[in-house]
Amino acid sequence: MSTTARLIFLALASLAVFVAAVCIGPTQLLDLPRLFDLLRFGASTPELERASLVFWELRLPRVLLAAAAGANLALGGLLLQAIFRNPLAEPYLLGLSSGGALGAVIALAAGATVVTWPALAGSLVIAAIVLLICRRRIAADLPSLLLVGVALGALAQAFTTAIILRFDPGALRSILFWLMGSFAGRGWTEVGMLVPAALIGGAIVFLLHRPLDLLALGGESAHHLGVRVSFVQTAGIALAAVLAAVTVAACGTIGFVGLMAPHLARRLVGAPHGVSVPGSIMVGAILTVGADLAARTVLAGTELPVGVVTGAFGCVFFLALLHRKN
Amino acid sequence: MRTSSSVATLQGRGVRAGYGGCEVLQGIDVDVMRGEVLSVVGPNGCGKSTLLRAVTGLIPLYGGEVRIDGISLAELSAMQRARLCAVQPQVEAPLFDYTVGQFVLLGRHPHRRSLAPASAEDHASTSRALEQTDLAGFGKRSIRSLSTGEWQRALLARALAQGAPLLLLDEPAAHLDPGHRFVMHTLLRKLAREENRAVLCVSHDLNLAAEFSDRMMIMSKGSVIATGPPDEVMTEPHLHAAFQCDALRVGMNPFTGRPGTFFAS
Repeated sequence: MSTTARLIFLALASLAVFVAAVCIGPTQLLDLPRLFDLLRFGASTPELERASLVFWELRLPRVLLAAAAGANLALGGLLLQAIFRNPLAEPYLLGLSSGGALGAVIALAAGATVVTWPALAGSLVIAAIVLLICRRRIAADLPSLLLVGVALGALAQAFTTAIILRFDPGALRSILFWLMGSFAGRGWTEVGMLVPAALIGGAIVFLLHRPLDLLALGGESAHHLGVRVSFVQTAGIALAAVLAAVTVAACGTIGFVGLMAPHLARRLVGAPHGVSVPGSIMVGAILTVGADLAARTVLAGTELPVGVVTGAFGCVFFLALLHRKN
Repeated sequence: MRTSSSVATLQGRGVRAGYGGCEVLQGIDVDVMRGEVLSVVGPNGCGKSTLLRAVTGLIPLYGGEVRIDGISLAELSAMQRARLCAVQPQVEAPLFDYTVGQFVLLGRHPHRRSLAPASAEDHASTSRALEQTDLAGFGKRSIRSLSTGEWQRALLARALAQGAPLLLLDEPAAHLDPGHRFVMHTLLRKLAREENRAVLCVSHDLNLAAEFSDRMMIMSKGSVIATGPPDEVMTEPHLHAAFQCDALRVGMNPFTGRPGTFFAS
């Protein structure tokens, strides 16, 4: 099968998963035939009016949000794996999720109810520290830069835990749910943050596709082939950080998608970034939309944090990856 | 066809460079002309690879000047430099599953616009480079499935596809069997003679260097001990000074008349 055919196949698979995610849910008001009616006739009957409400206010924003979150995390992972030449790199390894979580719990401790902006600030602070350090020594030593991210993440996590312990049990439950990541209770505001981020981010990464190919195959060779290495590295890390930060801010921390999606995409469509950029976007979107669908349907009557689903898959995937590496 | 112009394609004058303020190269003069192969030899840590990094702008110069095709390195943009100067780096294991064809085609990066598909010329240069490095049937193979020697030839193929007049190689024969070593060095000589390229080759193999290069440069501790035709510079005093090894003796290859080294233990 040619690469183009594989990309088209992936696009059709994404569409199928999106439609399924829109049609399946606890309320029976919106199923596939009603979705078709709704799209054809609009909200023309009282029944379709209710379905329209479910479609526009619940399912569609949720699916769009999940898809954009998956795309952002996948793009971040793809960037960082190429830049660090490390198949295990992903946005959260740079401590971004922990920074976002810390920002959110500080805000909650101070009595805030909306945590989006504090979480964004927390992630961006960590990203800024990593970038500051990276401006100075990026070309010299990439592995130690990753370690800086891991260390900052551990620090943020320690503070987060210390603060959480002071919450009362009711608040504790909701903050834990937020920490594990969820698309529940979000709406068009968050969609308005993540979808443009995914579109702009995807376009920038696609523009950089050949420099990323060259970087992934060796930093010195990339220099010899005309890539401005430290510029691409800094820009790539900054972009991955922003994409992860807005995603954490809007949906909490959804682990492992940033790691899994690029690997799956490379296996499905090939390693060159010209194809693995669109591939990763679609695989990331399928993973998060699918995981969210599982999170809200597997246990009847209750909803799992989507991070629990991706974490469970991620663990198995991680072990398989290590096994293959050895 | 020997040199087409009297200006060296690579010209380094008083090149000083190193890492973190610690000077490794202490004022190196180096010239590589079109049509010739210059081999740089010397003991481990004498600054051979640092010289390659310095003349390609990978590390900053502490002093001196480097010109490529007469233009100061500082005035060349990254893409301009890549169109003039190709480098075969030392072997580093590949992490991602590119095919050999995709990998070698990346050598055309300096000639392509960012979103343009590969042109017919790009594909022609790629397949020619694959043929020259004896990898013609390898286009669809994954680079991760290659042996070290095959991977090393793929690295050379990418540098050749780059189509630059100046070719710098860091131990191109390090992982090759004797047959492919011979083929590789014959190819380098051919690239200089027939394609009029300027070739600088860092080597650990004194005999191969003496056999296949037009001139040799012997380095030690960041300085040049001698530069010139192999039979003039590959002498016991030079080698003893460079390698600190009195057991090295210089003899003659009975088949070619070129100098060669032997151990007298």
